Amino acid sequence: MTAATRTALRASIGSFTFHGENRPALGSAALSVTPGALTAVLGGSGSGKSTLGKLLAGWLRAGHSGEFRGSLELDGTRLEFQGAPDDPRLNPAEWSRRVAYVPQDAAAMLSTVRATVAEELAFGLENRATPRAAMLRAVERTAARVGLSGLLDRDPATLSGGELRRLAVGCAVIAEPDILILDEPLASLDGAGAAQIEALIRGLCGAGTGVVLLSQAADRLAGEATHWTVLVGGVVTAEGTPAQLAGSAELERSGVLVPVVGGRGGEPDTGDRETGVLEGGAQKTGAQKDGVAAPGPGAGTHGAVAPVMAGLELNGVSFCYGGDSRRRVGPQPVLVLQNVNLTVRPGEIVAVTGANGTGKSTLLRHFNGLLRPAAGEVRVCGRNITGVPVGTVAASVGLLFQHPRDQLFERTVLRETLFGLRELFGKAGAEGKARAALAAVGLSAAAETVHPAELPSSQQRLLALATVLAREPAVLALDEPTVGLDRTGLEHLGRAVKAAAARGTAVVMVTHDLAYARATAHRILQLDAGNLREI
Amino acid sequence: MTRTHHLHPFTALTAAVGAAVVTTAAASWPLSAAVAVAAAILAVRGGVAGRVLSAAAVILVPLCLSLLVLHGLFFPEGHTVLAEWGPARVTAEGLEFALELGTRTTACVLVFLLFSFTVSVPDLLSALAARRIPPQFGFVLASTLTLLPAVAGRLDRIRQAQEARGMVVRGGLLSRMGTLRLQMVPLVLALMDDAGSRAQALDARGFGNAGPRTSYRDVADSTAQRRFRAAALVLTAAAVVARLVVSWPAGVTR
Repeated sequence: MTAATRTALRASIGSFTFHGENRPALGSAALSVTPGALTAVLGGSGSGKSTLGKLLAGWLRAGHSGEFRGSLELDGTRLEFQGAPDDPRLNPAEWSRRVAYVPQDAAAMLSTVRATVAEELAFGLENRATPRAAMLRAVERTAARVGLSGLLDRDPATLSGGELRRLAVGCAVIAEPDILILDEPLASLDGAGAAQIEALIRGLCGAGTGVVLLSQAADRLAGEATHWTVLVGGVVTAEGTPAQLAGSAELERSGVLVPVVGGRGGEPDTGDRETGVLEGGAQKTGAQKDGVAAPGPGAGTHGAVAPVMAGLELNGVSFCYGGDSRRRVGPQPVLVLQNVNLTVRPGEIVAVTGANGTGKSTLLRHFNGLLRPAAGEVRVCGRNITGVPVGTVAASVGLLFQHPRDQLFERTVLRETLFGLRELFGKAGAEGKARAALAAVGLSAAAETVHPAELPSSQQRLLALATVLAREPAVLALDEPTVGLDRTGLEHLGRAVKAAAARGTAVVMVTHDLAYARATAHRILQLDAGNLREI
Repeated sequence: MTRTHHLHPFTALTAAVGAAVVTTAAASWPLSAAVAVAAAILAVRGGVAGRVLSAAAVILVPLCLSLLVLHGLFFPEGHTVLAEWGPARVTAEGLEFALELGTRTTACVLVFLLFSFTVSVPDLLSALAARRIPPQFGFVLASTLTLLPAVAGRLDRIRQAQEARGMVVRGGLLSRMGTLRLQMVPLVLALMDDAGSRAQALDARGFGNAGPRTSYRDVADSTAQRRFRAAALVLTAAAVVARLVVSWPAGVTR
């Protein structure tokens, strides 16, 4: 393969500034992509990775989306941009056929107007007037490549997170691009889902596609890259091979998550990704530093001396989504929870893991009554919550949702945190609680001036966490709190969870990140086929 | 259900338009009633009777009641007075006119609801694209049909998040309005953000391309259906012409 020796895409960025902003989102940055090679761009939250990816792929266009100074060179053709009106104009469709991009939110890639996976895959080919026979072949070939052959007739809206991401990648690679840019392709996938995407990426590289990985974790996948570029505040601060950069001061400063590599060789249940801040090395969580979260069954100090009233109790809870055949696939309503018993004592941290789609979020929604059990009962601080409105239960149960964006609706970060606090602590107390919660997640500086929608997604998650912490609930339920957090974010999360437990809060966190669960929780439970079991 | 899927979307559309136009042109309440009953039977057989009839009730009950009050009680041309209370007169002509208008509207509403609840939107889009209708038109049509469920789903998620932070949703109107106000901001922000990134994705996938397109979906059509559509169009046109011819002199002399 002669192609492997030349550079397919070379970008040299002087600056890129969004219209209406005065600070450039990207400063000096350069990137070269070689066919058949995996290149990783690593950076913490808000470092400009997505902006870089979208700029390279023509999703953000010079003049159209912002002012771009620099050059893009594809296969020897060089385009120079001066931020002037007579700059070359990219045709997004033509450019994306060569340089494809898959966004972090895979659903954003889909047309939403196609009824089946096969038609969604074909959408880009239809728009390019590909003859139907060729289209049928391409859909079949691509589906096999991304592992969707069995799902071609499914409605895209019913796919799981991992399937959705494979579909988005399929939509990008069906046009056989030379370069594929993947933005956090493993975010929120369970072990099996992540392994499939990793295998897919290896396959694409093997077939000669140059793959660019945008990631805030120097994880196993990033470790396979031939080249790393470290991005901080839109500027490249370091580049080199993984061997050169691993453990470097630049990587440390960037806020990129560095899991312990190869530290879990002996454990049988691997396959789960390690994005957590792990045992050993310099990056312990706050909880570990202070020696509190000694992993192991039961929090020794509680319950043994005197019987303490449980913070949260589930007795024989069963649940199934009613026969709403339009939204659920599958022939019969499946029992998501089956006779689940769970007791969480004050001060105890319990982690619940399980594959995507096993009902972990469903379980959490029972804690405050957003979902009501078909059988069994839920007790919060000893009180049965049957028939109690969610808003009332919320005084004792704080729930952090998987998608923090749905949770934020106020004009400033401080007002957001203050929402509903006055009813709990009075006018005088509320502001103090809000500011303390913001300080705990490292958002004090943003309190008065920043609109929640302007925060990068990881800080939105931390803000949503602060809104829950400020209420000082007796039970804290966290749904995938680690997703999208860089190292600083994870440290804030770890400290906040530990502090809440120390105050006597019963904490339940749902996470697919087994390593993080091990490092933080007293007990780990696995949800599988509707049952909880200790692991 | 399966039966309607064998119909080409244009066949169903032609039948619906034809039935509505012929019913309106004929202006005969027995025919209107027959068309309405036929649509209801088809809805039952298509398995969509519940949705069609409940949607129809929302539209038709207030409409028919107002027709009855308006024309049943106050019909200026009415001669045959059946009952009289002050200015209100119940006349046979008024009742007949209300019946006429009511059955005609009912027939049209039922026919179009039946069509929209049984047509396969992807088939319709694909058929439109094959007729060189700009795909953007089809996209807007499909988005409109899918927008409402999407918005409802998102509103639900936002409400849950707010309830989880202590917002108690009570039955009162003021309380509901208050909570709705809080939900609008994140809803609009989220929809705008979605639209922005969706536009970039659509552009990248060549949706903005000018020029010809192909269609992956194969919508089955048949000679019989094509003949039916041609016949239905001719019949519809004939009904309109006949109506014009019949009422023309009356229209002039009135």
